[in-house]
Amino acid sequence: MVVTVLAVLAPHVQPHDSLVPVGAPYQPPLSGGALLGTDQVGRDVLSRVLEGMSVSWLATLLLVAVVGLVGTAVGLVAGYVGGLLDRVLMAIVDFFLALPAAILAIVIAAVLGPSLKHALIAIGVLSWPYYARLVRAEVRSLVALPFVEAARLSGNGHLRLMVRHILPGAWPVLLVTLTLDLGGTIVILAGLSFLGLGRAAPAPELGAMAAQGLPYLLTNWWIPVVPAACVMLLALVANLSGDGLRSLLKDQ
Amino acid sequence: MTEPTGLHAEPAPIAEVEKLAVTFQRRGETIHALREVDLTIRPGEVLGLVGESGSGKSVLGSAILGLLPAGASVTGRVLVDGVDMIHGGERARRTVRRLSLGAVFQDPMTSLNPTKRIGKQLHEVTGSDDEAVRLMESVGIPEARHRLRSFPHELSGGLRQRAMIAMSLAGGPKLLVADEPTTALDVSVQAQILDLLRDLCDDLGLAILFVTHDLGVASQVSDRIAVLYGGRQAELGPTADVLTRPRHPYSAALRSSRLTLTTPKQLQISSIEGETPDPSRPVEACPFGPRCAFHDTPCDNGLPALRAAAQGNTETACVREAELPADLTAVGTGAEWPATPITTPGPALTVRGARKSYRLGRGQRAVHIAALDGVDLTVARGEAVAVVGLSGCGKTTLLRSIAGLVELDEGELTLHDTGAPQVVFQDAGSSLTPWLSIGDLIEERLRGTGLAPDAQRARVEEAMRQVGLPAQLRTSRAAELSGGQRQRAAIARAIVVPPSLLLCDEPTSALDVSLAATILNLLGRLRRELDLALLFVTHDLAAARLVSERIVVMESGRIIEDGPADEVTQHPAHTLTRSLLAALPGPGRREQRQRYLTTSEDPNAALARTSGT
Repeated sequence: MVVTVLAVLAPHVQPHDSLVPVGAPYQPPLSGGALLGTDQVGRDVLSRVLEGMSVSWLATLLLVAVVGLVGTAVGLVAGYVGGLLDRVLMAIVDFFLALPAAILAIVIAAVLGPSLKHALIAIGVLSWPYYARLVRAEVRSLVALPFVEAARLSGNGHLRLMVRHILPGAWPVLLVTLTLDLGGTIVILAGLSFLGLGRAAPAPELGAMAAQGLPYLLTNWWIPVVPAACVMLLALVANLSGDGLRSLLKDQ
Repeated sequence: MTEPTGLHAEPAPIAEVEKLAVTFQRRGETIHALREVDLTIRPGEVLGLVGESGSGKSVLGSAILGLLPAGASVTGRVLVDGVDMIHGGERARRTVRRLSLGAVFQDPMTSLNPTKRIGKQLHEVTGSDDEAVRLMESVGIPEARHRLRSFPHELSGGLRQRAMIAMSLAGGPKLLVADEPTTALDVSVQAQILDLLRDLCDDLGLAILFVTHDLGVASQVSDRIAVLYGGRQAELGPTADVLTRPRHPYSAALRSSRLTLTTPKQLQISSIEGETPDPSRPVEACPFGPRCAFHDTPCDNGLPALRAAAQGNTETACVREAELPADLTAVGTGAEWPATPITTPGPALTVRGARKSYRLGRGQRAVHIAALDGVDLTVARGEAVAVVGLSGCGKTTLLRSIAGLVELDEGELTLHDTGAPQVVFQDAGSSLTPWLSIGDLIEERLRGTGLAPDAQRARVEEAMRQVGLPAQLRTSRAAELSGGQRQRAAIARAIVVPPSLLLCDEPTSALDVSLAATILNLLGRLRRELDLALLFVTHDLAAARLVSERIVVMESGRIIEDGPADEVTQHPAHTLTRSLLAALPGPGRREQRQRYLTTSEDPNAALARTSGT
């Protein structure tokens, strides 16, 4: 939550423009007005990292939300209706799950061309079936419960039954999984842009920054290490909030 | 409590509980489960520990086994075989558990390891297969050597419970703690297990602490009965005395709210009004006070302790006992039923030739089990019909197919009036969507009636009033309600638009005795006021007789007996009906059972035969 607010505010708190050099290149942290130093062309690392984190976080959030929605819809319908439709939908899901995700993401992103949008599409296409499976399994176990039967006898229609009497039961598991997966998605996104398949060149992106900074690892360590550490930080925050959410939901 | 020494001394007790108080922390609240309870179990006796949920009876059982959860804080002493089971050393307690104690729990499916063969599990505690076979034979498991190779799920519920008992007997315990050992079983199997426990006690000199919520079950096996209420002992005495001359208003009320075949039908069942005390807010007064008909100022002067009754042979915790009438059981008999409105004649439901079978297994080995095998049934408008039978007889499938939850393979089913039938499920808690409020759930049935929101709201509150739920509970969720309130909420939902037919699937079997009586009264009152036809599915013939005008007995998917309620219970025509009647628990029921089964040498075998497969 706090991270999201920070991400939205990032453009306003960053001390310098992330694209324009602010001073001499290769300045170490805590020198010459740049808290985390400057990179190979003299741009402020702190500003670039902040913007990169903000973009990564918001993009991942959006992605996970959309993917979760699609997966939930498919899983809910498949689990509720059952029978032939269930089998067809799950066959599609199994097809996607059988694909080697990481490689295919690279292929998709490469074919579509490097851009943040395309990287997101690549990850999204490959991750929704996972949530469809998850939600379907939850729904299958909920459908058989007496309160669903009782609600059906109360004269509720199919849609109302699904949305009001079944879906809320699948929420906790779904929500926790989604939050926990935020971290993984951030890492994958950074990985794609590390390979040059993410956001286009001058714009700051954590994975790309780490990649471009790699040659300077031994001489000017902060240039690749700071963005890499930021990826780790984001993933950690996501995982911790997932754990927090889980214990919160368990208490209820 | 010191035992007198000397020539005529009573044998030393096998277990002594002194001033035992147990509290738990739950959601930041302190739950007072037991409040300074004293109890002595003598060698070779069956002590029935009777109480409703929340009375602390199971906590007392666990305390004697030394198995209280780690979070419990305990004061007082529990001595078993001279060893302190609360504060004693872990090694000493383990030795007592292994050598002197045995435990039988409610559900043998969860207390036996499902991944290991019975023989292996018994071998672990006995050390040899021969001993395992001997134990299995001693608890009446036929073909014991053959069953060693069975997994728990391959045994029937009754055999599983016998296996569990066999395991608890390994090591030759002196005391068996049986916590609701028959609650999950069918009536006829329950009767067999009760007989078995009694025999073990008589033959092996074993003492049994028999924990149950059912006074009838306790009275059948126990020598003495201790009645627990709100973490305190209300009464203690010989079984016959507690049952016929109870000297505590609570045990008297428990007794009168028990459903028997002789309970008068014309009146409502006498029930205990109000709710059980809140264990997180203990009061220094008689815990039964707020629900007691004899409540007076002396009752509120501190926690009453057990003392010998002035009239009778029991020990009672009632401070006003000496002033109370001699026969407490006559007090508080039920009110009269409301008048029934004139019913339009004609059937509400007709079922013709209903068939339904389920497939077990797949492919070549598939077996078709007929749950309904040609059922014909008519329920007249405003009539109450009870469908009775053992588990697996098809009674629930019949109810579910009438409700439209199961499709028949064959046969026709006609509901003569508009409006879908409504169902009151066995476990009301699980029939209420957990994340919706009671008010929302009731209001759902009014959707599409074209009522304005205000009118809907008023109708919901009216329905809640009819079932005796306070209106402020409309925003509560099921988890915030007590068991009785949940069942009321489920009934309110069923009647907010009165259906022509109300289907009840064992609505009281998950409830405490006093609550069950209240719910049966509620159903009886509502069906008369609202002119509902009622189909009541149960395994309990006593409840069936009280609720309904007609009883239908089912076996293996067929109706084998159908007649007026009193006729069926007094002059049963079919052997199954007779064995169901004989299996009803109660004092002296065993003798009746054996008299009825004089043709057979082994009553258990005869029951097993009639219950069929």
